[in-house]
Amino acid sequence: MNELIDKLKTQIIEALNLEDMTISDIDTEAPLFGSGLGLDSIDALELIVLLEREYGIKLTNPAEGKEIFRSVATIADYVSKNRTK
Amino acid sequence: MIACIADNIISPMGLTTEENFSSVSKGMSMLRNHEDTFGLPEAFCASMLDRELISGLFADHALSDNEYTFFEKLCILSATDAISSCALQAECEDVIFVISTTKGNVDMLETEPDCPGCRLAFSAEKIARYFGNTNTPVVTSNACVSGVCAQIAAIRLLLGGKYRYAVVIGCDVLSRFIISGFQSFKALSPEPCRPFDKERKGLNLGEAAGTMILENIGGTNVYGNGSLWEFAACSNHNDANHISGPSRTGEGAFRVLKDILEKIDRDDIAFVNLHGTATPYNDEMESIALHRSGLEDLPANGFKGYFGHTLGAAGIIETILSMKAVETGVIPATKGYGTKGTTYGISASSATRETDRNTFIKILSGFGGSNAGIAYRRRNVPPCATPRKGGEA
Amino acid sequence: MNTVSQVRITREETILDGKCIFTGSITELYREFAGDYPKFFKMDSLCRLGFMAAELLLKNIPAPIRENAAIALFNRNGSLITDRNYQKTVSDDNYFPSPALFVYTLANIVTGEIAIRNKIYGESSFYILDEYDAALIEDIAASVFITSSPSLLLTGWVDYNDETDYLADMKLVTDNKTKIR
Repeated sequence: MNELIDKLKTQIIEALNLEDMTISDIDTEAPLFGSGLGLDSIDALELIVLLEREYGIKLTNPAEGKEIFRSVATIADYVSKNRTK
Repeated sequence: MIACIADNIISPMGLTTEENFSSVSKGMSMLRNHEDTFGLPEAFCASMLDRELISGLFADHALSDNEYTFFEKLCILSATDAISSCALQAECEDVIFVISTTKGNVDMLETEPDCPGCRLAFSAEKIARYFGNTNTPVVTSNACVSGVCAQIAAIRLLLGGKYRYAVVIGCDVLSRFIISGFQSFKALSPEPCRPFDKERKGLNLGEAAGTMILENIGGTNVYGNGSLWEFAACSNHNDANHISGPSRTGEGAFRVLKDILEKIDRDDIAFVNLHGTATPYNDEMESIALHRSGLEDLPANGFKGYFGHTLGAAGIIETILSMKAVETGVIPATKGYGTKGTTYGISASSATRETDRNTFIKILSGFGGSNAGIAYRRRNVPPCATPRKGGEA
Repeated sequence: MNTVSQVRITREETILDGKCIFTGSITELYREFAGDYPKFFKMDSLCRLGFMAAELLLKNIPAPIRENAAIALFNRNGSLITDRNYQKTVSDDNYFPSPALFVYTLANIVTGEIAIRNKIYGESSFYILDEYDAALIEDIAASVFITSSPSLLLTGWVDYNDETDYLADMKLVTDNKTKIR
């Protein structure tokens, strides 16, 4: 699981152009949107693309993403249960 | 005074303004489901032109067919109809071309990513030169508000005094590039869109071209066929909020309406023609802007249920259709609308209503936080025996 | 129109009001003169260029004046660099359309980025011309004051071709009546 969490953090930093950030800067449990990393709606859409491209997970309803994208921990949990690649 | 002296709309609903307005009056729509179009993995619902029909029409008009893309052919066909209907001499020095488009020939990137045709202004030059006009054409590229921005740019240039006529063309054509982008934004409705409605699921894209010929007719010597369309007010404001999401307070659209209401008489307004894309956020934002402007009770409508969102053409064709509606004394129905689906009221209707007022407001909002609006007034003028032609002193 | 301030950014140098203040890339320029806006790294190249030009021009303008400023920018290539990058995400063998790229395939996004950063609620317009027609640019910029009364106009050329070939040649102007300083 820890390996997946670090991999996800690296992929998020790259996909969302979080320049100047390293995986140790992202708190696994902290909220990604709003107060935490301060991601926005375009970032959420880009995370949907990331899950599909890297893990073969198709999210059609952006509303689903709200829960899944709460923190890196929730994403890792969802990916480990639903990945197809 | 700036007047709109001629116009044209080409869409799947007709090849002239009259044909398009008649299709709207009959409640028609060409929004259809498209599978496998552009080789896209996901189907989409859109209003698309028949490419063979347009190429055939163009072949009847033009000297050489191969030099022009589908986008350019559409612009030229639309402008040709408007130019000939007012006998404008488009090659004259006092005529400027203003073209509204978001993506022009972007489909060429698939096969020729380095070709000059991918540049919007290269394409605009070809269109202006087709008509023998040698002035540098202006392209307004302001996402979904481009069509109103083009009118504003043209009006200002005419008021500046260097030009007397502006040929304002708005056009966008669909492609793998554009559809996939809107799909990635989860912005498209799988079925015909429902502006302002409780059940709205997103927008549909559409293809169209529209042309307005604007003239600076000076202050006094007004002529016409008994009446003309006079520019009344315009405004453009940014939300300063987000590059893709509309403002939650409707700030930009509110400021646009506020500016316009300072210049026109509220009691003259027949309706506000809204952007009405049928995305949850856009329509909600427009309801907030109307509420803040005290315009909740004024009749409002939207044309996207007939044509889809025609991007760079939207501001032009929706302005022209609003003119036809006021001339006819009607407020067109909002196709797809049934039940109120916004926090504040939008006085839209699924039925055609009557009006005896002479002014309308057209507003748009788009990516980049842009909002723009324009108002025109129908004005009675004494008829003139011999209309002047473009280019005469 | 009265010019309040002007800036010129190329790969070689950044010139503010006639003085060379920096030599280096746009990212280095950002680190030197802004540095506090992580959204900068999400922007495409055209936006980064226009954004930095605006940073340098607007830094001493008070917020209430900025609020009613207008933006009218021009270029030749539109958003072509990003258009090509986005196109690569929708190829047949690797089809993953990127929303974060798609939004920047509109040239006017640069005006939006500047408006958001500086809380500018005035007009924002983007024009594309096939050649640098100085007279026409001046006419269009001046004509902004015909139908509106912005406190300031941020105008000029912002064109990005590739990482060695780019130019921001922008200025802040007022109409002939308003005094800013």
